[in-house]
Amino acid sequence: MAVRVIDVRERVMEKNDEIARAVRLRREEAGLPALNLVSSPGAGKTALLERTLDALRDEIEIAIVTGDCQTQNDADRLAAHTSHLVQAVVTGGACHLDARQVERALNDIAIDDTDLLIIENVGNLVCPASWDIGEDAKVVLLSVTEGEDKPEKYPKIFRESDYAVITKMDLLPYVPFSVAKAVGFMRDANPFIRVFYTSATSGEGMEEWLEFLRDTARRGSSITKVARR
Amino acid sequence: MHEMSVAIEVCRMAEERLAAQQLGQLVSVGLDVGDQAGLEPDNLSFCLEALLAQPPFNGAKPVIARVAGDVLRVSYLEVDDGRPGD
Repeated sequence: MAVRVIDVRERVMEKNDEIARAVRLRREEAGLPALNLVSSPGAGKTALLERTLDALRDEIEIAIVTGDCQTQNDADRLAAHTSHLVQAVVTGGACHLDARQVERALNDIAIDDTDLLIIENVGNLVCPASWDIGEDAKVVLLSVTEGEDKPEKYPKIFRESDYAVITKMDLLPYVPFSVAKAVGFMRDANPFIRVFYTSATSGEGMEEWLEFLRDTARRGSSITKVARR
Repeated sequence: MHEMSVAIEVCRMAEERLAAQQLGQLVSVGLDVGDQAGLEPDNLSFCLEALLAQPPFNGAKPVIARVAGDVLRVSYLEVDDGRPGD
């Protein structure tokens, strides 16, 4: 038998990245910016979005895509806070969203009538860091009820994110969480990361976050990436 | 954590090449996996073995090389084209 070796040398993510580039191009043509919200499960992505949708309801047309392993609970929760279609991607166990799922979701969004696309990724600090889904920027959430050393333990997702939100700030008096240490660890991973401090319960810090979203929607796609490295 | 997703994509890439170039039977697939790629090599190997046991692969072996950085790529396909060797 004749056994031979065929050189491949192709990145496993090439196909995904190709679709991600197509998603980005389509959005840029329509001027639609997209943020990819990532965090561990329970950090408060959905709660932040509920409050965000309520606050910006009359100002910005926001489309939401949610990803979860099972159930469309998050999409159902968010649908109560917007007149727009909230799309649920049930990954069937997969630990992240990929570009193909976002491409499909984009087909159902009235892209020209939307000012901002927010994608709520599957709760996971590991895998979503490895998948480009055609977003403009990742926003990583870290709640004060988690360890402040999360950015030290999971540096990749903080390195990949241009923005961070420290959530559940209203609980700070009750938990041993040092905001300074957490931010220090974040900056070790990404010195240029911009940090917001919010509580979806008390409303603390929401105005700065909302102003960032207004600004993002105004600028359209290709929002200025934070210069880094 | 997403080793199975990666293994499925590796098999898709191999199958696509085998079919397009009529390469014959896959014997092994070589992968470069970086130490920052977010993948556990034993786990990836396990997933690949399970998938490669199925048609059209029929028991091809994964060969994982550990490299530095966040590299994740298929480096080569070893195939048997069924012709008599020389």
